[in-house]
Amino acid sequence: MNTDMARALDTFLEESRELLEQMEHILLAAESGCLVPDLHALFRCAHTIKGSAGLFGLEGVVRFTHGVESVLDRLRNGEIAFDPALSALLLECRDHIGALVRADCGGNAVPAAVGDGLTRRLQAWLSPAAPAAPLRPTAGEPVAASGGGLLGGADHWHLSLRFGLDVLRHGMDPLSFIHYLGQCGEIVHLETLHEGLPGWRDYDPESCYLGFEIDFKSEASKEEIEEIFDFVRGDATVRILPPHSRVVEAAVVDAALDKQKRGEERKALEARSLKVPSERLDQLIDRVGELVIAGAATQILAEASRQPALKESAANLLRLVEDIRDTTLKLRMVPIGEVFSRFPRVVRDVARELGKDIELKIGGADTELDKSMVEKIADPLTHMVRNAIDHGIEPEAVRLAAGKPGRGTLRLDAYHDSGGIVIEVADDGGGLDCGRILQKARERGLVGPDQHLSRPEIFRLILAPGFSTAERVTNLSGRGVGMDVVKSSVDALRGTLDIESEAGRGTVMRICLPLTLAIIDGFQVALGNNIYIVPLDMVVECIELPPDPGAEYLNLRDEILPLVRLRSLFEIEGPAPARQNVVVVRLGRRKAGLVVDRLLGEFQTVIKPLSKIFDRLQGVGGSTILGSGQVALIVDVPALLGLAARRAEAGEPAG
Amino acid sequence: MSKTIMIVDDSASLRQVVSMTLKGAGYEVIEACDGRDALAKLKGQRVHLVISDVNMPNLDGIGFVQELKKDPSYKFTPVIMLTTEAQEARKQEGQAAGARAWVVKPFQPQQMLGAVAKLVM
Repeated sequence: MNTDMARALDTFLEESRELLEQMEHILLAAESGCLVPDLHALFRCAHTIKGSAGLFGLEGVVRFTHGVESVLDRLRNGEIAFDPALSALLLECRDHIGALVRADCGGNAVPAAVGDGLTRRLQAWLSPAAPAAPLRPTAGEPVAASGGGLLGGADHWHLSLRFGLDVLRHGMDPLSFIHYLGQCGEIVHLETLHEGLPGWRDYDPESCYLGFEIDFKSEASKEEIEEIFDFVRGDATVRILPPHSRVVEAAVVDAALDKQKRGEERKALEARSLKVPSERLDQLIDRVGELVIAGAATQILAEASRQPALKESAANLLRLVEDIRDTTLKLRMVPIGEVFSRFPRVVRDVARELGKDIELKIGGADTELDKSMVEKIADPLTHMVRNAIDHGIEPEAVRLAAGKPGRGTLRLDAYHDSGGIVIEVADDGGGLDCGRILQKARERGLVGPDQHLSRPEIFRLILAPGFSTAERVTNLSGRGVGMDVVKSSVDALRGTLDIESEAGRGTVMRICLPLTLAIIDGFQVALGNNIYIVPLDMVVECIELPPDPGAEYLNLRDEILPLVRLRSLFEIEGPAPARQNVVVVRLGRRKAGLVVDRLLGEFQTVIKPLSKIFDRLQGVGGSTILGSGQVALIVDVPALLGLAARRAEAGEPAG
Repeated sequence: MSKTIMIVDDSASLRQVVSMTLKGAGYEVIEACDGRDALAKLKGQRVHLVISDVNMPNLDGIGFVQELKKDPSYKFTPVIMLTTEAQEARKQEGQAAGARAWVVKPFQPQQMLGAVAKLVM
């Protein structure tokens, strides 16, 4: 396959994925009964996939999708009714089409039995009425007729063509057909018949009055010659007389077509958008990052030059660079709905498997976050959702006994909060059982026999590797593989994971993530001679540290604020200055005060990830280069907040 | 002079392959993603052949051909409609609109070249 074709195949993969998602969306919407299913759109999805797959010679996809399309065609024409059984079957078929497409594009092979089984089941929806339309209906009825002009008998074909008056108006040029005929063989003799031409008074230049008699030498079969005139069958009489023969057959006009009502509803599904490979975006963002640093350096020099004109133009430049930075970062932002959209199906399938009735409510699907995060958060979220359905929401009988509605509710929510994005998975199930978790943890030796833990600490135990309180292991969860993976995925994204739960009322798992991984507005602080950067989005306020050496908490307007002394955490040498400052940071619901020497102000920063060697370094999330060329470390606020919270709960000094 | 062909289809991959095939055979190609897009792109352009899908959003193939044929500049422009066997009934509507040439999906790129060669010299 050449590269052009490979690229086209990539387009097809992407396109079929989108179409299959759309199919799923329509089918699920129809199942939940909340709207009249758009059967035309459904048909069009299968139709387009089949059409394009054929172009790539993906015979398996074409054959299978053809069956699905036939059923969908009957469905949209109202010949069969939409019901849950059919919808479930179509969902399975939709999955199978996806598997076939992937298999043909280098994925795992799909056992033929699956497709055969589905095709057989589809057949039930095609009978008892007419079976699926044959792939190419042709009608041809030999009619004996008198040949006009020269007759056959020689060793070449003889064609009699009589074009209809309207043939030109239909965009068919008789000459082009004769030209094409000439490419399929040799035109031995051609005679133009113009008896049909009217007098000049009645002559219409847009009409065709001509006929042709052609002697044609070719190895082609009769069907092949007939096919040449396929397009003019309705507008011309074509008689083809084989060599050495006196029988003439007439090409027969298309078979009778049955009328059918037309009712296509069109939905503007295609947003006018441009597809750009993500590496190019990454490159752009990287360059913009460098631009930001270069801009900052320029401004420092301009400030030092004391030339007003230079200062002004440097300031203008920096403002433009900031605009470019914001616009560029927005290019990577996608709505989290892209991830959420997979959950109706997940919830439906899992709930069915467990025999539970669960309603999924999705909120904040428009909330945007960085594309790379969307990709990375999908799996952890899926795990949390499965967990909530399996362990969170009780079986119907238990719910009814507890006076709750039999139908469980699962809520997925996303919203922006203090410079980050918060994603919540909430269920109205039985809540986490503190007693059981603690007991299990003691059995496994995670917690000492007399160790006392606070509620948040107990909840956090479920994030430990291999921890599960489930009595029986289901297919889905309960093996204790998972919540620890969720935790580490969230950590990797520089986010936090909080659990809130109330017995009998349900559980809320809350993931807080920073908006982007690439460029941030930073707040510079100094510790000794070193400069550190705190992401500005998370900074709430700055205050002076009251002179109370060794205090681990600060009374901030009657609120207890745990302090993290960065000097001791980062082991800064030299004495602390007489006056220190506190930077109050917040992410989600956690707050802490970072104790630093001096406050230096805002600074735009490009985050350069730290090399793997620094993986074990606590409290540092990345590095950056200042305008002066000095390297500054970026403080990992989520990690510090976690540290503060853990120490606060354990009653140990923080920092 | 090379001939210009317009391909109208909502499937980007189909457009890509058809366009590639036609360009390989020496034709100029204009792509459009639906009938509305096609009409917008046609304005003033000389095309020797239009290949159009039937089932498309915004403006479908039938509506598009009806509009096209109203324009005197395209009255005699041949149109190939892309269809499936499941759409026999729509063929009649297409014929009423002025389309005579049909290519059944799924097709191979070579089939398309053959069909084009019949209509464009």
